[in-house]
Amino acid sequence: MDHLRIVVGFKVTPDYEALRAPDWARAAGGAAESGGGPGAPETRYVRRVLGVFDEAALELALRLRDARAEAGLETSLAAFSVAAREADPFLQTLQALGFERAARVDPRAALDFAPRVTAAVIATYLRRIGSPDVLLLGSRCGPGESGAVPFLVADELGLPCVTEVTDVQIASRGRLRVTFAAGGGWIRATIAPPCVLAVGNAVVSMLRVPTLKDRLAVRERSLDVLSSGELGVDAAAALAGEPTVLASLETIDRERAGTIVAGRTPEEKARALYETQLRARLERL
Amino acid sequence: MSLSREAIVEGLRRIVGPDAVVTDEKILVESSVDNFRKLQNIFDVHTAPVPAAVVLPADTAQVAAILTWANENGVNVIPRTGATATEGGLESVVPDSVIVDGSMMNQIVSIDPYNMQATCQCGVPLQALEDRVREHGLTTGHSPQSKPVAHMGGLVATRSIGQFSTLYGGIEDMVVGLEAVFPGGEVARIKNVPRRAAGPDIRHVVIGNEGALCFISEVTVKLFPYFPENNTFLGWTLKDMATGFAVLRDVMVNGYKPSVARVYDPGDAGLHFSHFAAADDCVLLFMAEGAAGIAKATADGIQAIVDKHPECTQVPSEYIETWFNDLCWDASKITAEDERIRQTHNVNRTTEISADWSSINDIYQAAKARIIDEIPDITMMGGHSSHSYINGTNMYFNYFFNVVGVGPEEETDKYYLPIIGIICEETLKRGGSIVHHHGMGKARAPWVKDEYGSSYYILETLKRSFDPNGIMNKGTIIPL
Ligand SMILES: Cc1cc2nc3c(=O)[nH]c(=O)nc-3n(C[C@H](O)[C@H](O)[C@H](O)COP(=O)(O)OP(=O)(O)OC[C@H]3O[C@@H](n4cnc5c(N)ncnc54)[C@H](O)[C@@H]3O)c2cc1C
Repeated sequence: MDHLRIVVGFKVTPDYEALRAPDWARAAGGAAESGGGPGAPETRYVRRVLGVFDEAALELALRLRDARAEAGLETSLAAFSVAAREADPFLQTLQALGFERAARVDPRAALDFAPRVTAAVIATYLRRIGSPDVLLLGSRCGPGESGAVPFLVADELGLPCVTEVTDVQIASRGRLRVTFAAGGGWIRATIAPPCVLAVGNAVVSMLRVPTLKDRLAVRERSLDVLSSGELGVDAAAALAGEPTVLASLETIDRERAGTIVAGRTPEEKARALYETQLRARLERL
Repeated sequence: MSLSREAIVEGLRRIVGPDAVVTDEKILVESSVDNFRKLQNIFDVHTAPVPAAVVLPADTAQVAAILTWANENGVNVIPRTGATATEGGLESVVPDSVIVDGSMMNQIVSIDPYNMQATCQCGVPLQALEDRVREHGLTTGHSPQSKPVAHMGGLVATRSIGQFSTLYGGIEDMVVGLEAVFPGGEVARIKNVPRRAAGPDIRHVVIGNEGALCFISEVTVKLFPYFPENNTFLGWTLKDMATGFAVLRDVMVNGYKPSVARVYDPGDAGLHFSHFAAADDCVLLFMAEGAAGIAKATADGIQAIVDKHPECTQVPSEYIETWFNDLCWDASKITAEDERIRQTHNVNRTTEISADWSSINDIYQAAKARIIDEIPDITMMGGHSSHSYINGTNMYFNYFFNVVGVGPEEETDKYYLPIIGIICEETLKRGGSIVHHHGMGKARAPWVKDEYGSSYYILETLKRSFDPNGIMNKGTIIPL
């Protein structure tokens, strides 16, 4: 393909790592008021970050564009998020990185764990802008996500979906060499677009950073902002039709007990380790 | 004649035994730099001379023996404890240096809750000491962001400062006594007393010496009662740094002692507070702590001061409390940061200076404008003031750039040093200090004469007197 249209959908999430124990406790207690509704942790007071797999998807798109440019091939890049205003700073960053189109579809409803509604909004939006050659999505986002959105979007668009994608490279004749995790290993497939790629544990997981000058260059550019209602999807009403409801979220304490192996020399420590941890097990063999 | 590498290793083995002398090539290579040239370790590209050995003394007597031997044989010694240095203090700039690593001297010698002081060896991680004194309902009051990884020796050697400094002071306000070993092997103990006027305060010869005069083997620091339940958080957004500095000044001049008092510029605020601050907002924040009455009076007083500035918009205190709970850098955060650099080649650097209230905003504005204008590939240029005093405050410049078109080993020359140069120039021009709390290391040593002016005579004389053979951390504080 001489010209490839890549679209990346991404989600902005609360920085769950910054949540304090009481924020999760509120979730366990089923208390209200938090961003995600009853049963979700209190996330209002932590900063927003890109979903990890979404971040990888965005960087993979940029690398694909760079590789195609080097091969003399044209690529257009677009990014969108189904989100409230909190996604805007991220969209502006993407504009500075060379995404020609940066859009936000505001569902005017909290769509956490609402894969059908989310997918319907995304598919409708993509039909509106013209179905892309390659759609990259993170395979899932923060805690409390279904992981079903990429499949449902692919289904709505009638495109094949490759899951757990870890890398995308260019191949000859406009094809893509897609690496994905399967059966405990990796498989490399050469694909002729169109396709949906659900990015998982990618080798490249972090998004490059635009310079201040890059930002300045796109300062006057506006974002495309529209509501899902404008697309003809009443997200709030559709939510009532979601068959599965996320009732609550809680963390599991992952702390483990540890012992310090004492000894004056490495030999003494190795002996102590053997005596306390290994010997009995070996004898049982 | 200087000793061969083999002779150096042999000499050290005789003093401390073979197990305490590390000659593993990878460890030696990694030990040739610190965070100042952290890209060299991240990308495994090294240019500094490789040290001959890392030696791990078990006690003060072994440190004394090592320094005596090094002094007699002209071997350059680089003291080290937590290895979190940011300014090249650990960099080996001459061949066959020896890293004297105090991390095995890691005993907490005593905790004295009645006299409110604790004594520990140099290799005790601050976090370990803090955890132990908390069992007594006490705190050291020292909380640099490197608290989980930095050790007491290094913290004293660099004149470090913590996030609660406005209440508890810098490390120099906390150290009551110490023990240090000098190049001839002399062991000097400064006793632990509340105050004395028996001549100059010789603690300050040792505190901040950055391993360029002596090895700090033991320190005694003050303890304070710990009342986390009274911590009160306050935060505002505002549109300019000048107002922020003015509010900080009002708070200090009116005698309030919040433990945290900060103003962030929009760039830096964007890294932490973008969920409630607009892209052009500065953020002003405080934490009041201490006994209930003190914490309340402090918070009330600050509230009244900021209320007089209608341009400040108050935000819910939970924003500040949540930020506060995620402040320190443990090993996992440092590893994640390294991985980000490896993938994106986007590097975060910081440079901290101090100046009086009249100059600080001018320094901030001038340095920021010049860096954006003169340095390529900048992705964020900002900063915050985080340590205030009656006569002025600090500015912690926080900046990111993409490393483009050069190898990782050239990052300092192309970007970092020119930025440091601009900040030092703009600071010196206005009478400020080019180093607020990271130490001079080797990075800022080239500016030492401008920093000291005529008082350089005192510094130079100290160096000559205590280290006549020049074996202590060559190139640190005073350039080669
Ligand atoms: C993520 C991060 C956050 C940081 N945050 C802060 C902060 O909030 N506040 C702050 O002040 N600093 C901060 N620093 C800088 C650093 O942590 C401090 O300078 C700290 O005091 C160094 O302690 P260390 O034990 O790691 O010393 P090292 O890194 O081992 O050594 C630092 C310097 O002291 C000398 N030295 C070390 N031990 C001795 C000794 N026993 N006797 C004589 N000289 C010795 C060394 O030669 C070197 O010049 C930060 C660094 C990092 C990486």
